[in-house]
Amino acid sequence: MIWIAIVGSAVATYLARSLPFAITFRGRLPGSASRYLDALPVAIIAALVGPAVVAPTGALTHGAEPLAAALVIATVAWRRSLLAGVIVGVAAVALLRLV
Amino acid sequence: MSLLVFAGASQFAMVRLFSESAPSAIVIASVLFINLRHALMAASLRSQLQGLPLAGRLFAAFFLTDEAFAMATGHFRRGGRSLAYYFVFAISLFVLWNVATLAGIVLGDAIGDPRRYGIDFAITATFIGIVVLAIRHRSDAVIAIVAALVAGGLALAGASTIAVITAGALAPLIAVFARR
Repeated sequence: MIWIAIVGSAVATYLARSLPFAITFRGRLPGSASRYLDALPVAIIAALVGPAVVAPTGALTHGAEPLAAALVIATVAWRRSLLAGVIVGVAAVALLRLV
Repeated sequence: MSLLVFAGASQFAMVRLFSESAPSAIVIASVLFINLRHALMAASLRSQLQGLPLAGRLFAAFFLTDEAFAMATGHFRRGGRSLAYYFVFAISLFVLWNVATLAGIVLGDAIGDPRRYGIDFAITATFIGIVVLAIRHRSDAVIAIVAALVAGGLALAGASTIAVITAGALAPLIAVFARR
């Protein structure tokens, strides 16, 4: 039954997202825990990027995505603009995939 | 499905599993694994949402996606405090995602392969930009590179369902042990 799988998946998805919000604890975090939580956002977003750059279709990239990623990093570091990075990245990857 | 399971990566996985007529338990377990990364994201957004009542936090949780997390993190890192940013972005994304799903059902075959235009790379480029703008210390850069490489390596090794949660959970340990 596809509906059982869909509803079950909805519950699983929601539990993963909501439990950390629902649980509250008192007291201050130790220094190591707060350093961990400070570093967490960057690590998660970078971890989302890794597979999309190295293995965009599940198999090893032909090189377009890593090159485009390097251009995005350079553009954003230089212009401090997210939009400029996205425009450069999309154009670069479209051109490089033609090669 | 998009209305209930608002989670791109796991929806694609579900479609593949349905086409292989996998049992429901397998589908649900796979989705749980893929979306465990959102538990990490929720843990990281806790402090910003602490001011909301429980009902508000539980409402926010339904719309927590990679994109909403990344944009909200960028917003808070730039010094933003307003939660409206998160809600407007996350809920707009939900509406657009479902409108686009409907458009895909109706138009589907007429669109062709989006990879030809590089559109699929827009999200990746956005995430890369957010990471670049969020880096403040050398250790941030090291953590980002390690996380990206570990996740990319795991995905190549065929472990893409656990790639993000594993790399995302392990890389911040560098911050715990490194000396600033």
